[in-house]
Amino acid sequence: MLLTESKMKNKISFLTVVFLSIFMTSCLNNKPANDTRSIVMWEMEDAYVAPFIDEIITNFKKDYFKKHGIELNFTRAHYQTEDLRQQFQAASLAGVPPDIIISPSDTAGIYAISGFILPLDKVFDFNLYNKPVVEAITLDNKVWGIPISNGNHLMLMFNKKFIKEAPKTTDELFKFCDNNLKKYNLDYCLAFDGGEPFWLMPWLGGFGGWPLDNNKPTLNTPEMKRTLQFYHDLKFKYKYIPPECDYNCMDSLFKEGKVPFIINGDWAISSYSEQFKENFGIGLIPEISEAHRYPTPMISGRYFLLSSPISSNTEKFEIVKEFVKFYTNKENQIKQFKELKRLPALKEASMSKEVLSDPIAKVSMEQILKGKPMPMAYEMRAVWDTVRNYQGLVMTNKMSIDEATFKMQKEVERKIKEMDR
Amino acid sequence: MNKKLKPFFLHLFIIIAVIIATYPLIRIFSVSIRPGDRIISTDLSIIPDGASFISYIKLFKETYFLRWIFNSLLITFATSFIGVSLASTAAYAFSRYRFVGKKWGLQLLLLSQMIPAGMLILPLYLMIMKLNLINTYLGMVIAYSVSSLPFSIWILKGYYDTIPHSLEEAAMVDGANELQAFYRIILPLSTPALSITFLFNFTTAWNEYLVARVVLYNPQNYTWTLGLFELQGQFITQWGMFTAGSIIITIPVLLIFLYSSKWLVSGLTLGSVKG
Amino acid sequence: MEYLFTTANVIFFVIAVLISVGLIELYFYLHFKLYDKKYYIIIPVLSLVFFGVVISFLNIYSTKILIYFAIWEMFFSYLCVRYVKGKNYLPYMLIAPAVIGLMMLLLYPFLFEIYLSFTDLKLTTIMQWKETGKLPFVGLKQYINVFKLPPLSETTFWQLFGRTLLWTFSNVFFHVLGGLLLALMLIEIKNLRGVYRMFLIIPWAMPQVVAVLSLRGEFHSEYGFVNIMIKKLIAAFPFLTQLGIGPVNWLSDHPLLTCTLINIWLGIPFMMVVILGGLQSISQSYYDAATIDGASYLQKLKYITLPLLKPVVLPAITLGTIWTFNNINIIYLVTGQAGGTERADILVSALYKAAFVYNRYSYSAAFAMIIFVILFLITTSYSKMIKVDN
Repeated sequence: MLLTESKMKNKISFLTVVFLSIFMTSCLNNKPANDTRSIVMWEMEDAYVAPFIDEIITNFKKDYFKKHGIELNFTRAHYQTEDLRQQFQAASLAGVPPDIIISPSDTAGIYAISGFILPLDKVFDFNLYNKPVVEAITLDNKVWGIPISNGNHLMLMFNKKFIKEAPKTTDELFKFCDNNLKKYNLDYCLAFDGGEPFWLMPWLGGFGGWPLDNNKPTLNTPEMKRTLQFYHDLKFKYKYIPPECDYNCMDSLFKEGKVPFIINGDWAISSYSEQFKENFGIGLIPEISEAHRYPTPMISGRYFLLSSPISSNTEKFEIVKEFVKFYTNKENQIKQFKELKRLPALKEASMSKEVLSDPIAKVSMEQILKGKPMPMAYEMRAVWDTVRNYQGLVMTNKMSIDEATFKMQKEVERKIKEMDR
Repeated sequence: MNKKLKPFFLHLFIIIAVIIATYPLIRIFSVSIRPGDRIISTDLSIIPDGASFISYIKLFKETYFLRWIFNSLLITFATSFIGVSLASTAAYAFSRYRFVGKKWGLQLLLLSQMIPAGMLILPLYLMIMKLNLINTYLGMVIAYSVSSLPFSIWILKGYYDTIPHSLEEAAMVDGANELQAFYRIILPLSTPALSITFLFNFTTAWNEYLVARVVLYNPQNYTWTLGLFELQGQFITQWGMFTAGSIIITIPVLLIFLYSSKWLVSGLTLGSVKG
Repeated sequence: MEYLFTTANVIFFVIAVLISVGLIELYFYLHFKLYDKKYYIIIPVLSLVFFGVVISFLNIYSTKILIYFAIWEMFFSYLCVRYVKGKNYLPYMLIAPAVIGLMMLLLYPFLFEIYLSFTDLKLTTIMQWKETGKLPFVGLKQYINVFKLPPLSETTFWQLFGRTLLWTFSNVFFHVLGGLLLALMLIEIKNLRGVYRMFLIIPWAMPQVVAVLSLRGEFHSEYGFVNIMIKKLIAAFPFLTQLGIGPVNWLSDHPLLTCTLINIWLGIPFMMVVILGGLQSISQSYYDAATIDGASYLQKLKYITLPLLKPVVLPAITLGTIWTFNNINIIYLVTGQAGGTERADILVSALYKAAFVYNRYSYSAAFAMIIFVILFLITTSYSKMIKVDN
């Protein structure tokens, strides 16, 4: 009895094995998109950008069909930032890269040196774009990407429920906090990602330093020491900034109204203004009172990078060029500004009245003027990684500032040497 | 300890364990109904202010979520069945026969798990390109079912080893051949181990990311692992939808586990046969 | 309808599935029924022809992988028929599909990594590699570099090694301990066992990313559940402060401990399920006999349960050791985003940094090989203990 029953069960399970095992031979027969009219694009944008990209792709396809009578096929695949870098490099090495990627400028340096992407200064007219945003994608006097948006820079954002005007100086900012935190039942004064060196760089610039000078790391400097000391005081002496706070943490604190100020990038504007409505305020990162200078956030943007194999397929190259131009034309740049609150990279669009008349864009522009282009050199990778580590050690009191800056410089130099250009 | 108190304490301890195991899920649930895409909150209440199920609705309306789940289910079931059937036969060979290369083979299985997974990305690309597997499920199913083989084979071998040889010998005396003895005697006796390997195959394939990332790049063909990461960007992640998705994703696995209890506790354990 | 499927899609799918079912069933049938016939070799040849011609003619699918399988199948059958005496090739045929699959998935990557580790592939040599397909041979230089050049700023290779061992063994130990305790308790429970088990496996069933990220939030020094509970406990029982209990800066002061705690939480359910399965295999009659002899619970545990669990649990422990050793997810998710501290890095996470942050492909390939060797040594000494061949 037992045996026959189980035998049947086995038959059934074996049948099921087999049943499912081959659906795969048929379910998916999408041919790999390698013919000329299928364009593959990888991007690392935040999810709220995806509908915008898709819309433009659809418009472009329509437009292209009208002009040339050819049906194009676009595949857009999303990757997380780190993932995009790993996968794009591996795919390029294996010879199957996507045609276009959308990327921030800081990883482009590595692609450029490895020969994964094409230099574009002979292909496009970069005078049409804002200068700093082109500068951030220039390496060895060649331009490696077409800017999509301008900025990606940090700014001061605040909750107008607590304060109406952005403070001009850090003293003003902290004075407000000293007087009002208790009153409004606030936890901390200013939230930002204390672990990421991206948030350290504006202050470093404000104290007069910069991580790279002519592609040579300059970290063991009095400016760096002052910056770290300033950071350290904010956390331990004055307790203005929340401890152990990464991006998610600072974002939550600000959204919950536990902190009046946050330093965050232009990507966050649309979600904050959606949540706070008229209570959302934006301003320059305040002048550092002890240095009498404004912090200098890093300016870059989002870029189209074209992978190298594409240049050997003339027809596809033409399609991609047309697509990129279409994506960054004036109309779409203004559309992008309206929907995503990102500043246009195209000069013509950034001078348009839609942009100029917007109060947020005005502040954002002003902040850009105070900022510095993010270096595209691949040495920045070593800088980010090393500074992150030693900054962490200083901020958890595991190492003195002098020792940290000394070691920072040494380590960055060693790593750059190991990368061995 | 007297008989009344013992079950009470057992239940008490288990319930504490259950609370520890489920607490994060509850927190994640409250993230999913919390407005403003905040994964961290200063507030410990389970139902936050302004709670709504909008993320769940958005997930189904604005993404290919159903399709992702469907794709994942297909791949996962295919993988689990293939994986278990391959493992059950191979483990039988390792358990019952002496042959050249047996020891070596068992070690090889372990070796295959020792290469750090991330190092496989580049060779995977090279292989997938050469075999033309981009955007297909076939390669994924093979890769998944093979990569959980070592565990499955080892567990099944260990289990088969506990089944006395006399059972098959008796069957063979009755006229069954070797394979029939295996199908009729050993397999039915091994349901607990088979279901463990099935569950293992299932969860591994269900949660797999690396191979899927390399093979698939068309959002409609994504598995849920890739699909959910659509919601994660450089700085901003739509945590509401992300966590809502994660909660829904957990359900099939839990159901499979609940269903499998029938097999894990089936009457076909060694005890009942021998007894 | 874009989000789901059209009816045509579904019907097409079902038909395709049925056809495929037939094919695979045929294959399995032939494979296991006819393996001992002289003409067996014809079958793979036929299937090769079939895959190569029919499917590629229909243009349904990539046939390369199927052809690959068929070729290996032929090779195996040939080997068996040619070299195995008598009719003893049943075991070989039984393991053949598994071996072919494993070889496909792992042999190529493995050889590729070994090749890389003896060359010098990095940022500047990529172009050369892509254009000429050749890389400079550097011998053992990369291997020496792994020991000479520390992969991280502040931590040497040996420190990392020690930390990895600590991480691995503390995790595996608590996984097994926790799993064993829960399984032993569950098996004693008569009611609600299935429901309890379902809840207990939640950490295993949940998508790891969310689970880890939300747990990480619970370890925040100020807003995390853990410290809030500690504070409440202290408020209720002030004497605890004298015992040195107080809020801890988990993420900044003890990153590795935090990772370990989270990973223990994640890993217990798996061990629990494995052990439960093992417990099911133990005959009640042993316990009955022991009860008659007047054995205590602990004695039964020591002399019956644990020895009989061994064959099922030891492989799980061995594999658990390997997996934990190579586990990067938790460490990356907990520390990678919290200011990237190096203080929780283990060997693999350092390896990934070398490979992906600095693009030192060959260096990291050599690093991977060394990790491989270390693991190999650990597990061989292990399998000596558990005696593979019993």
